[in-house]
Amino acid sequence: MTDLAIDVVQQLLNGFLFGSSYALIGIGFTMIFGVMDKLNLAFAVTGLAGAYTGLLLFHLTRGPFILVFLMAVAAAGLIGLVIELACFRWMPRDYPLAPLMATMGMLFFVDEVVSHATHGRPMAFPAPMGQVMMDVGPWLVRGDLGFMFLVSLAVMGALWALVYKTRLGLATRAVSQQPVAAQLCGIGLTRVNAAVFIITGMVGGVAGTLIGSAVGNLSPLLSLPLTVKGLVTAVLGGLGSIPGAIVAGLLLGIVEYEALYFFGIGYRDMVTYLLLFAFLVFRPGGLFGQRVGR
Amino acid sequence: MEFYFALATLFGFRILLGLSAYVVILTGQISMAQAGFYALGAYTAGAATALWGWPIVPAVLLGAIVGAVFGFLVGFPALRVRGLFLVIATLAFTEIVRMVFLNLKYTIRVGDRTIGPAAAEGFRGITYYFENGWSSLQIAGFTWLFVLAVLLAFWLMDRSRAGVVLRAVGEDELAASSVGINLTAAKVSAMTLGGLVAGLAGALYAHYATYLSQEEFGVLLASFAVAYPLIGGTGSVLGPIAGVLFFSLLIDGLRFLGDWRNLLFGVLIVAMMNVRPHGIIDVRLVRRLAALLRPAPKRAYAGD
Amino acid sequence: MKVLARVALFTIIVVGLVAAPLWEPVAAQERVLKVAGVGAMSGVIRGFGINSKAVFDMVVDEINKAGGVRLADGTRAKIVGTFLDERCNAEEGISVVRKLASEDWLVLIGPTCSNVAEPLFGILQRKVGDAGDSGLQFPIFTDTAIKPGLAKISEWAFRNVPHEPTMYNHLFKWLKEKHPNLKTVYGGVETDFAHSNSNWFTSMKNAATAAGFEVLGEEKWLLNDTEFSTQVGKWRRAKPDIIAISSHPFTTCGVLREMKRQGVKPKVMAGLTSTATLETMAGCGPEAEGLIIPTGFAPVTPEAKRVADIVAKQYKGNVDLHSAAVYENMYVLKKVIETSGVEAKPTTLAQDRKRIRDGLAKVTEFDGLLGKIKRLDDRESVKPYVFAVAKNSDWAVLFDPR
Repeated sequence: MTDLAIDVVQQLLNGFLFGSSYALIGIGFTMIFGVMDKLNLAFAVTGLAGAYTGLLLFHLTRGPFILVFLMAVAAAGLIGLVIELACFRWMPRDYPLAPLMATMGMLFFVDEVVSHATHGRPMAFPAPMGQVMMDVGPWLVRGDLGFMFLVSLAVMGALWALVYKTRLGLATRAVSQQPVAAQLCGIGLTRVNAAVFIITGMVGGVAGTLIGSAVGNLSPLLSLPLTVKGLVTAVLGGLGSIPGAIVAGLLLGIVEYEALYFFGIGYRDMVTYLLLFAFLVFRPGGLFGQRVGR
Repeated sequence: MEFYFALATLFGFRILLGLSAYVVILTGQISMAQAGFYALGAYTAGAATALWGWPIVPAVLLGAIVGAVFGFLVGFPALRVRGLFLVIATLAFTEIVRMVFLNLKYTIRVGDRTIGPAAAEGFRGITYYFENGWSSLQIAGFTWLFVLAVLLAFWLMDRSRAGVVLRAVGEDELAASSVGINLTAAKVSAMTLGGLVAGLAGALYAHYATYLSQEEFGVLLASFAVAYPLIGGTGSVLGPIAGVLFFSLLIDGLRFLGDWRNLLFGVLIVAMMNVRPHGIIDVRLVRRLAALLRPAPKRAYAGD
Repeated sequence: MKVLARVALFTIIVVGLVAAPLWEPVAAQERVLKVAGVGAMSGVIRGFGINSKAVFDMVVDEINKAGGVRLADGTRAKIVGTFLDERCNAEEGISVVRKLASEDWLVLIGPTCSNVAEPLFGILQRKVGDAGDSGLQFPIFTDTAIKPGLAKISEWAFRNVPHEPTMYNHLFKWLKEKHPNLKTVYGGVETDFAHSNSNWFTSMKNAATAAGFEVLGEEKWLLNDTEFSTQVGKWRRAKPDIIAISSHPFTTCGVLREMKRQGVKPKVMAGLTSTATLETMAGCGPEAEGLIIPTGFAPVTPEAKRVADIVAKQYKGNVDLHSAAVYENMYVLKKVIETSGVEAKPTTLAQDRKRIRDGLAKVTEFDGLLGKIKRLDDRESVKPYVFAVAKNSDWAVLFDPR
């Protein structure tokens, strides 16, 4: 086999695997923006803040990774609740731009808290699978990213079940579509919203921890790119479609890696964004979008 | 005093940037492309004075025109997408522009220095103001000439049929098109106008900063462009000004808080949105003020 | 009319609120030397600003305790300092410096970020005495912003940052002598950051070629990248003897991790001088083991040790290759002020700034923490340096050429 063929396939693999981190963060965004109809820009940063809390616990106890993980998920859930209280509870429900701006403020705030606590330094994050590398023929496959792909499938399944199989999911969809009618049916608006934010916060925590350990470092530098890539993924997949987010994340990863290989770093993002722009223009609802433009 | 003139200059192009996002928001859309237009205006106008030796006025106008042309070009395809999809599509545009400037290398020797866009190294030497001995007052005055012109134009537009059309499109597209408003024309002209004003703002920024670097024109700038009118309110052209004042107050006014300044920055945005979710100067406030300023008409009640 | 009055009142209050915090009463203190510092105190680059500020506070206290600075008429003046945040943002940096220049500050030390330093130097007068140039006439003496060739932008701009071409020329020459059997160098560069980008293309690459190495090429990534399998994969295939990484701690750590993962083990690794900080150790100490970096500071002299200790214990900061320059700059300034007839009277502000500028321009050599620092004609420094190596998650001195 020629070098070119090996490389192209290797890039495909790398992109696919790295795309699973986009997928993981994109699922969260599509859940919040699409299914629940809440514009929350602070989602990615919630996950990161959770991961930082886990890291704090790690530094205090040197405990096993699972402890760090649980702590991160719990903390992210809590931060999710704080965001609901600060940016959504007392906002007018018919003007989504207000919470959008408020969550942008929250993004700045959480970022700056992290910068203050860590002096802006990158912090090593425990990575139990960080060095796992599998040889598949002439190709290399990163173990931790493979694991992340599996987790994003699991999260997808869990969220799907939550939204479409549980009473909470039913209530959530009712609240996001017809808040007044939902209330008339005896659904506690406050409680449902709080629950939704805690759960999506926890999804963020899962994403934050896994991305943190895949990168190996946590840094406030991560928050803005993750937010942007998460949004891109959610939109590309068709807002509200959870499988769409996964496909979009993987696709985005593959496009980026192939563009890097063929055009070099200076043009990687340019090519990716050009394709994105063109795609959105020709298919305004995204990959799996049913409702065109929202 | 010198410093206040510089501050006024800074406010000037920030207000223009806010206004450029404002006009798009009137049509009910959020555009992240303003940062891209701003960058295009900045690089073009900078090149015009520093590399091609143009005088400042045509250079700034060129920057504005380039912004408008790209606004028009982006406006057409972007018509097909709405809401968050448009946000992402326009964000893609801004990132593409940024990447172009990360790769663009076009430098020449002028006297004893090498100037021009030098890819990752940035564009150095846009020193038209200083070379021509402009004082801070002149620079501020020059900037505000444009700001006032744009403000006046927008103020008049808000009062004319055009403003009503834009707001109607923003309120309800379906209703607007059913009363015969041409959605395409409204949206594309809003985008073109936004591009024009953002390009103008960038052109003025380039000469204020003397140095341009692609990393300044990313998502953050695009978010701020949108944040000015959203925080300030979209009720009138004074909204973006209020937004700029709010942010600038947070950035420069809280300096005495030292380390706490940036922590408070985010918190105050959250607090502000809770207190005034539609922005500082929203439609309701404008109506109330207008009612106060005008001699009250006789009230007629439905039951009379 | 009442309403109009109310609107007017509201406007006045708003303007007052905007202006109030910006206005500082000019204290009626007599004969103080006002020296300002500017650095990034927020955001991701915050660590640099914190260190610079710690050293700034330390050296101001130290000079004042020792009796202050002698003025032209023989009186001794205390230094009054302030340290402002530029947030690594050009607009904010310009605004801060314009404020300082419009007040009675004599000279500025800073800033942290090169993308702030560029416009700051840009708004200065380009050539001293050019009446047609309305740029600021305010001396700036930079400690941190290290992108090559900045001081030539204005004659009011001075820098005391490591001279990278010198350091890397020596490093590669030394490597060639030490390991004559090493032949090839492969580079890695963070291309969207001006300093790391130009360091590879103007310093490292040329230095490696000049020392007789064969440069195989360079792999590129961006500041925010988190995954480097493509770039490291190229290294794996090329099997270079030396890998030279010109990037900042965050991506350097990512690259080092990926190298470990793919089993890329060059015989020597060299890094960017700004990466020889504690950040790298906090981020990836174990992975960085063996990374060699020339650096303008290490606690290798008694004086350097003393300063580093005091700053760490009493001022909660680290002295590193960047912040050490604040200490050096302040002592040069003291000397320049004492010899150039600075009067520090409110009426002599413009002359004093000019005197400090001219004095600084005349300095050809001064004492730094590691030894003599040479000044160049383009207002840059050539500083003594050592080669540091990452060892057991800390920096150790590998070779001391002084």
